[in-house]
Amino acid sequence: MSDLVHLTIDGKPIEAPAGTLLIDAVRKYGIEIPAFCYYEGLALQAACRMCLVEVEKMPKLQTACTLPVAEGMVVRTETPVVADARKAMLELVLTNHPLDCPVCDKGGECELQDMTFRYGAGEGRFNETKQHIDEKQWSPVVFFDRPRCILCYRCVRICNEGMGVAALGIANRAVTSEIIPNEADHLNCDECGMCIDVCPVGALTSGPYRYKTRPWEMDHIATICAHCADGCKTTLGVRNNSIIRANNRDHSGLNGDFLCVKGRFAFDYGASQERLQTPLARVDGKLEPISWTRALKTIAAKFGEVRQRGGAFGVIGSNHTTNEENYYLQKFARQGLGTNNIDHHRTGDVITLIDALAGKGGQLATVEDIYNAPAVVVLGCDLSHQHPMLAYQLRANVRHHQAQIYPITPGPVREDNQATRSLRVDKGGEVEALGSLAAELKQAGGVVILYGDPVKGDAVRKLVDFGESLGVPVKYVALVDYSNSRGAIEMGLTPELLPGMTPSNTGGMRIGQMLASTDLDVLWVVGANPLKNRAALAGKPFLVVQDLFRTETAEQADIVLPAGSAYEKNGTVTNVCGQVQMLKKGIGAMGTKTDLDIFALLAKEMKLDLGPATPDALLAEIRTTVKGYDVVLAVLATGGAAMTGVNGPVAIDVPVDAIHSANDTMYTSGSISRYSKALTSLMEYPGELYSGKSK
Amino acid sequence: MASKISDFLGSAAAVATGMGVTFKEMMSPTVTEDYPDVPPSFQERYRGTHVLQRDENGLEKCVACFLCAANCPSNCIYIEAAENTDQTRISGGERYASVYNIDYSRCIFCGYCVEACPTDAITHGHEFEQASYDTSTLIYRKERLLTASAAGSAAPAEMKRAS
Repeated sequence: MSDLVHLTIDGKPIEAPAGTLLIDAVRKYGIEIPAFCYYEGLALQAACRMCLVEVEKMPKLQTACTLPVAEGMVVRTETPVVADARKAMLELVLTNHPLDCPVCDKGGECELQDMTFRYGAGEGRFNETKQHIDEKQWSPVVFFDRPRCILCYRCVRICNEGMGVAALGIANRAVTSEIIPNEADHLNCDECGMCIDVCPVGALTSGPYRYKTRPWEMDHIATICAHCADGCKTTLGVRNNSIIRANNRDHSGLNGDFLCVKGRFAFDYGASQERLQTPLARVDGKLEPISWTRALKTIAAKFGEVRQRGGAFGVIGSNHTTNEENYYLQKFARQGLGTNNIDHHRTGDVITLIDALAGKGGQLATVEDIYNAPAVVVLGCDLSHQHPMLAYQLRANVRHHQAQIYPITPGPVREDNQATRSLRVDKGGEVEALGSLAAELKQAGGVVILYGDPVKGDAVRKLVDFGESLGVPVKYVALVDYSNSRGAIEMGLTPELLPGMTPSNTGGMRIGQMLASTDLDVLWVVGANPLKNRAALAGKPFLVVQDLFRTETAEQADIVLPAGSAYEKNGTVTNVCGQVQMLKKGIGAMGTKTDLDIFALLAKEMKLDLGPATPDALLAEIRTTVKGYDVVLAVLATGGAAMTGVNGPVAIDVPVDAIHSANDTMYTSGSISRYSKALTSLMEYPGELYSGKSK
Repeated sequence: MASKISDFLGSAAAVATGMGVTFKEMMSPTVTEDYPDVPPSFQERYRGTHVLQRDENGLEKCVACFLCAANCPSNCIYIEAAENTDQTRISGGERYASVYNIDYSRCIFCGYCVEACPTDAITHGHEFEQASYDTSTLIYRKERLLTASAAGSAAPAEMKRAS
């Protein structure tokens, strides 16, 4: 970046790149300048006047949020004059602010409360009656309390700039100003809850969290969101073994403070009434509850018997289970059951990309790359719906770095609003259309290409050839659907590949073949719902299903084992970009066991020696044995994301027909989203933006 | 010889002084209370079993702000909050305590909860007989802590003055 300038803050010499705002520059040195309206990454407002500081040779106090640093500047952030000014501002802010902190959801983590405590405007001089306006409900998840609002416009800006939705605006002027939703009395938006998150006071509050508890009463557990593949860090508020809210106020992780509607509200699926709490076995054609001991014994006996007589096994893994579970499952199948019939629902062509990039290295984009790239091309994916966090990073890139965006999709997408140029093509024609952008991309000096499921097989190779021909740095992301879709491929949940994308050279059935086969003796489905759109299995295998709910597949099972959700286990997951992050157990659920525990108990019951089956031990094993997963443990353990280095060549024929995205929208997430009360309440409340046509 | 006489006189004087106190106290009114035959009397600000107060409309004063629980040094207060609706209105504010438990096997009667309460909902009553053979009975639920009558009639005089 540009040159460093030197200045003095509170007697401390500091340096910062020219153009940095004072409020940002001092943060690195442990000095905090308070502000309500300033929000990192959003447009400047300078409305709240809380960040006033004294600058030598300037006659009046200056707002630190709009003042760029300058050489030789001498700034004092905490003088009696500054404190007085802030106190006076607080007094004004508090003229109409109700004194309902005891019932306000924000109490305890309210910026206004903190500032009042710090600068002491506890007693105001305005004795007039406070204006009261009744609280309004704008949607099932957003409540607005006008008297508490301090008009910092953070919500308006995050919705407009950050989300690209612009569902919030301001009506009237001066003392009667009010934040209003786009549909007069309700919101027609993504329901992402970002407005609630950025609100410095309790004006915008969350429906599901409303009046449930207080911030200090919860345990805050940082884990990774269980829904799409973006791998957003989420901090669960847990009390009494139940998750009460999810947010990411500490701005850590790949997503910063961003969470979409699923991440913020759809954590409740695990608490659904329909959650399985005991194993079920088929008795006289009906599924009846049985004990864990009996269920495991029955399965082990059946598995043992089939293995003994050389029968055929089929194993279908999950897009949601952790790397450790996937690794152990393939080990169980290959070593324990002696089968290579192992697969999962493939949602994007990662394998061809890794093969095509063989020997090049460093060409897989990280989330940071999407934020920093001079140009980004999106091929065949409605990014705002399927990858909300990547779309958010893209919008931030446009705002902060004026990136060029090129969506090449069959239909209109939200990225069109930020796009330099949008191309509409028929599905499958994305890569051909890319040719017309060559000159522009070359000029941009660096490109990140994101591609969805229409681009697979040869199209990926063509894409990489095109990238090579540009002569500028090009990085790629193969978009996949779910929280650990990438990990499922890389941990060897395919017949073609062992962990680390090593070709297995042994044939094996793929998912479609397993479902259509009449020869299978056992089909073991872990955390997947392959029978969702299928009447029944072709054959009559002994069907074992591990899931949270009685899905369509579970309904047909011989034995169903209740599994733990992603919020109920430890382990690691790999996101869409190939970045590994650590899950942390937030809660437990009665009667269930994590998939890993189930595997381990089954292995023990069958007297198989598959090595230790704890998340830590398996991670250690993965780090030492799986190619590309020698990630630094300290990065994971401290909540960071470690990039994997899986590298080609991967000399196999990729079954391109097996690759298809589930095309989830912003409000769906495979089978699990059906069980989230919050999410279904939003889907029953559809606005224009929900209906699939993006704005 | 002289020292023996003065020893004797000194001892006699000491006994006389002691007995003087005894006789004086025999004459003065008794301070011993005949508990449990006679109910004990307390100072107004005695910190006994807590009482959850109601307002003049009979609604619960507690709005489940959790400040008592936050302030409690022995961590003996457990609250679950819920929202008042138009159909069921329990407290005067927007929220109320659907569960309010005090664990008297942990409570140290320090009074910090009463201090912290922004709505004067929790006060100390004069009940003190919590002894039990079974510690599981020492967790008092809201139903037991809540005063029956409206307008804080069970509150000590001092609390009435304050409100």
